[in-house]
Amino acid sequence: MTVLAGIGFSAPWLLLGLLVLPILWLILRAVPPAPIRRRFPGVALLLGLKDDESVSDRTPWWLLLLRMLAVAAIIIGLAGPVLNPNRTETGSGPLLIALDASWAGATLWSDKIDLIDAQLTEAARAGRPVAILRLTNPEEVNFQSADTWRNRLAGLNPAPWSPSEAQITSVIASLPDPAQGFDTHWLSDSLDYPGRARLTEAFSERGALRVYQTGNSVMGLAPVTFEDSAIQLTARRSQPGPEREITILAEGRDPAGTARTLSQATATFADGDTTATAELILPSELRARITRFEIRGQRAAGAVTLTDDGLRRREVALIAGRDDREGLQLLSPLHYLEQALIPTADLLDGALMDVLPANPDVIVLADVATLAPGEQTALTEWVEEGGLLLRFAGTRLAASDISRNEEDTLMPVRLRAGGRSVGGAMSWGEPKSLDAFPPESPFYGLHVPEDVTVSAQVMAQPDPTLADRVIARLTDGTPLVTRKMIGQGQVVLFHVTANAEWSSLPLSGLFVEMLERLAVSSTAKTPEAADLEGTVWTPLQIMDGFGALSDASTMPGVDGPALVASPTGPDLRPGLYRNGDRRLARNVLTGDSELTPATWPADVPVEGLAVQEEQPLGGALLSLAILLLAADIVASLALSGRLALSRAGAAALAGLLLFQPGDLHAQTTEDPDTFAIEATSELVLAHVLTGNEQLDEVAQAGLRGLADTLYFRTSVEPSVPMGIDLETDELAFFPLLYWPITPDQPIPSQEAYAKLNTYLRSGGMILFDTRDADTARFGTSSPNGRKLQELAAPLDIPPLEPLPADHVLTRTFYLLQDFPGRHTSRDVWVEAAPPDAEQIEGMPFRNLNDGVTPVVIGGNDWAAAWAVDSQGRALLPVGRGFSGERQRELAYRFGVNLVMHVLTGNYKSDQVHVPALLDRLGQ
Amino acid sequence: MTQSNALRHRAEAEASRLPPLLARADHLAGTVLLGDHGRRRAGMGDDFWQYRPAQIGDSRRMIDHRRSARGDHQFVREREWQIAQSVMLWVDQGASMRFSSDTHLETKADRARLLGLGIAILLVRGGERVGLTGTALPPRRGKAQIMRLAESFSVDSDEDYAPPEHRAMIPHARALFISDFMGDMSEVRLALTKAADRGVRGVLMQVLDPSEEQFPFRGRTIFESVGGSLRHETLKANDLRDRYLDRLHERREELSQLCRLTGWHYGMHHTGDSAQSALLWLYRALDRGTS
Repeated sequence: MTVLAGIGFSAPWLLLGLLVLPILWLILRAVPPAPIRRRFPGVALLLGLKDDESVSDRTPWWLLLLRMLAVAAIIIGLAGPVLNPNRTETGSGPLLIALDASWAGATLWSDKIDLIDAQLTEAARAGRPVAILRLTNPEEVNFQSADTWRNRLAGLNPAPWSPSEAQITSVIASLPDPAQGFDTHWLSDSLDYPGRARLTEAFSERGALRVYQTGNSVMGLAPVTFEDSAIQLTARRSQPGPEREITILAEGRDPAGTARTLSQATATFADGDTTATAELILPSELRARITRFEIRGQRAAGAVTLTDDGLRRREVALIAGRDDREGLQLLSPLHYLEQALIPTADLLDGALMDVLPANPDVIVLADVATLAPGEQTALTEWVEEGGLLLRFAGTRLAASDISRNEEDTLMPVRLRAGGRSVGGAMSWGEPKSLDAFPPESPFYGLHVPEDVTVSAQVMAQPDPTLADRVIARLTDGTPLVTRKMIGQGQVVLFHVTANAEWSSLPLSGLFVEMLERLAVSSTAKTPEAADLEGTVWTPLQIMDGFGALSDASTMPGVDGPALVASPTGPDLRPGLYRNGDRRLARNVLTGDSELTPATWPADVPVEGLAVQEEQPLGGALLSLAILLLAADIVASLALSGRLALSRAGAAALAGLLLFQPGDLHAQTTEDPDTFAIEATSELVLAHVLTGNEQLDEVAQAGLRGLADTLYFRTSVEPSVPMGIDLETDELAFFPLLYWPITPDQPIPSQEAYAKLNTYLRSGGMILFDTRDADTARFGTSSPNGRKLQELAAPLDIPPLEPLPADHVLTRTFYLLQDFPGRHTSRDVWVEAAPPDAEQIEGMPFRNLNDGVTPVVIGGNDWAAAWAVDSQGRALLPVGRGFSGERQRELAYRFGVNLVMHVLTGNYKSDQVHVPALLDRLGQ
Repeated sequence: MTQSNALRHRAEAEASRLPPLLARADHLAGTVLLGDHGRRRAGMGDDFWQYRPAQIGDSRRMIDHRRSARGDHQFVREREWQIAQSVMLWVDQGASMRFSSDTHLETKADRARLLGLGIAILLVRGGERVGLTGTALPPRRGKAQIMRLAESFSVDSDEDYAPPEHRAMIPHARALFISDFMGDMSEVRLALTKAADRGVRGVLMQVLDPSEEQFPFRGRTIFESVGGSLRHETLKANDLRDRYLDRLHERREELSQLCRLTGWHYGMHHTGDSAQSALLWLYRALDRGTS
């Protein structure tokens, strides 16, 4: 294959045909286009006329160019051009494909498989025997035919660890003798590991070594830690590159048990930095649900870190000194603590000595003054091992002598006798409020509410160490919360009671936040290897190289120290391990592991992973030639004037494309949001689309006229009315639906009726108009009436009556007794008054039903009387002369009354109380 | 059997062409009548037009004694259309007339026949005698003559450019020649001078297609006459345009010059324009000639 300008040709001699092009140009130019025959009576006048020039119109240069291009495309296309021709010289002899196959390459694993596939294809073509060697899982090197290996490609998977020193040694030992010789293609994962240099040397000794690796940075996620009530996430990358932002997902099960992403944090690798950190502050309930963190977009075991007991709910033991006042729950010293802790912690009940063996994370002593010596010793021991002892003051503590002259071990400060009371009935001064928390306090940053006040407290003795131990104080500087560290643990004393007796602190949200800060800081530390001596951990779930978890109940147990200290490998797979109630996660990366990029000797060629596929261009070029020739036909026709007909057709087509049919009821085609915004941004009157175009237009024009009238006369300012498709449009936006009846309109579907009934029950009104009051009365006497009965049967319509003279509709805006439209029938039906409504002496009307009538039924063709065109002129004649105009006016007034009735309900009926009010005013 | 069938088929096809032409011509003529003469005909007697006072020069024979006896003045009874005129039509049936440049336009022949038949209807209603030049259809009155005219109009001639028929012209009659006058001018000149010799006056109506007026052609073209007898090939049609238009102008000048000499009227009509205005013009032009 000859390669010219990066494109290979299978038949390059054909390209000589391009030399013909200039000759062709000259020939084509010389030949005039074929003549057109035309019938033309005026030819009699033309006889004898000579052409000025002997040469006719030449073929235009652009048409010539088009033809040249077509011919050139054919010539080049037949020469068999190929993009990305495969130019690698194929070697000979055995080929070893070595794979790191560690977790670091898992993200791009499919690319690697593609590359191996391509190399196997090539080796098969050259007839070379091939062996594939996984360094993380070394086997005997065994050269076989490439096709055998291709069948086994699908079974190749990355391991969730890196090759170890011992594995490298065994690989080198198993390699064939240097004299035998073979070429090596090494698919590296771009990460360095011990023994890689030795292996490079060993491969180079035996033949040509070629390394394939991606230039991308490998990313990993270190195990999470917890500091200052936030989850600390640390991501690492192998190469310091430009600034890059990554998203770390926290995954777990939601309360319904579905696995999902519970939260996410963003970490940024600074320019040239290999470490990125992020903090994730979550409610403890949510935090406890997280089972794993992973870097988004990475599909490797190293980019996943599992969580273990560290995120578990804390166990808190509550112990009160006073249990004698049974039943007074709100006074119980532990009530507020229980309420605050139940959502986030497991509470332990029982005597102190019963609770201690359960090794709770926190023990709360509320107003417990004295402890038995045995309890004191056990508790001290527990605190020194990392427990958090939380003490609250109270009358008992204040009255006792504990920590009076000498600081008690389990008290952070010495106390003065009796405590103090401020702001009480028998004391001077105001109750004290809290001061802002100092920066060194664990509460630093919490907002102090104004209304938290302290009216009594125990007072600390001034001591040299006092200032260091205060972590919260009152505005007058007296300590409120003090803390002392003992061993790994700490003792915290609130100088007030745990209930609301001495202060309003337990009533506030601040109390919960303070508890949370304290409880989080007592998280279990990652155990040391020595702590796990003698324990055996059974795997619960293990990770594969891609970071996916699988059940591991068949795997053997692992020694505790090895679990923490040994590197991962075939015998210690990363995953979640269990010993009794404790769970421990072993992740691929440990807190201090670094990702070192692999560096190669200068004489080893390194290539990327991408496989460039050969792309024949011949077909595309020949298609292009056919397209050009087709264009040439059209152009030639157009040039010789034979395209007149199709030109007219093209013009018509273009016109058709340009013509955008205006849609009267465009809202039906728009998306629901636009429709909702249009319908609700202002008050909109609506009519039901009947499918009869003329009727719908009259209804639209009628509502436009009514809207204009409302706009001019009242404070109701409706927008442009809308036509509503009952099947698709939401009805709830419209206070009033006008529904003209025509015998041929379709019956709405069940869903539409459900919507209509909901609409009627929730305060909507439908104005049914049979439009035939000039010829028919209600009932089945007219087709429209029959249709109305058919349409309204499934509707939830209350009993009806003819509109009574004292109905609120007669006076919502105008005083009316007639409700004409284009017709003047008095038959208008509304919801019937309750049967017990009676007219009271001296009142102009009855106290009728509450609420708005859901339907008004009439036949006066109101929309036609209201209808106006876009200029505001009446569209249809009403009556004759002045009386007709009066009738139209009354129709408008009815419309105004109707809309007022819908919008204001029966408020005009409140006038029924006017006589009583006047009477009360003494007039 | 087959022959008679074929004959009948052709006859019916021919007959089916008549009523539309007649109806259209009738319709066209009706519009002109309504605008110009409307009530002059309705309810009147056969020939009576009006009484007018007798003037010097009226012969005593013309005095209407029945009217004059009612008063002191003498009245003359005037009659309308006292002298019936003979109008002879020649509508070019040549092949060159069967041409239209666009499917939306009717052919020149259709337009010419429409105008001819329309004016014939008008004239017959006015009481004139209408016929064709030549011996085929001498002028007669009455509606039957219209039918005969329509019949003879629907016969196409095979000649490419038909010469005007100038035989058997009745002296001092009126004549109407409708053609595109694209053919030999000597024939036209002969016909007109012959007519002038016999005291026949009339109207020349030249009917042209818009494309003949614009010559919108380009490129290498072979022009053929409709009958196929003439042919002209050019390599650059757009170069010929100006010279063609000059020749057309010359031909028109020649025609109107001829008309001035012989006392005829010369009119132009394009098939793209409305037939009604042309008919109106024709009627006025002939009216001037007859009155």
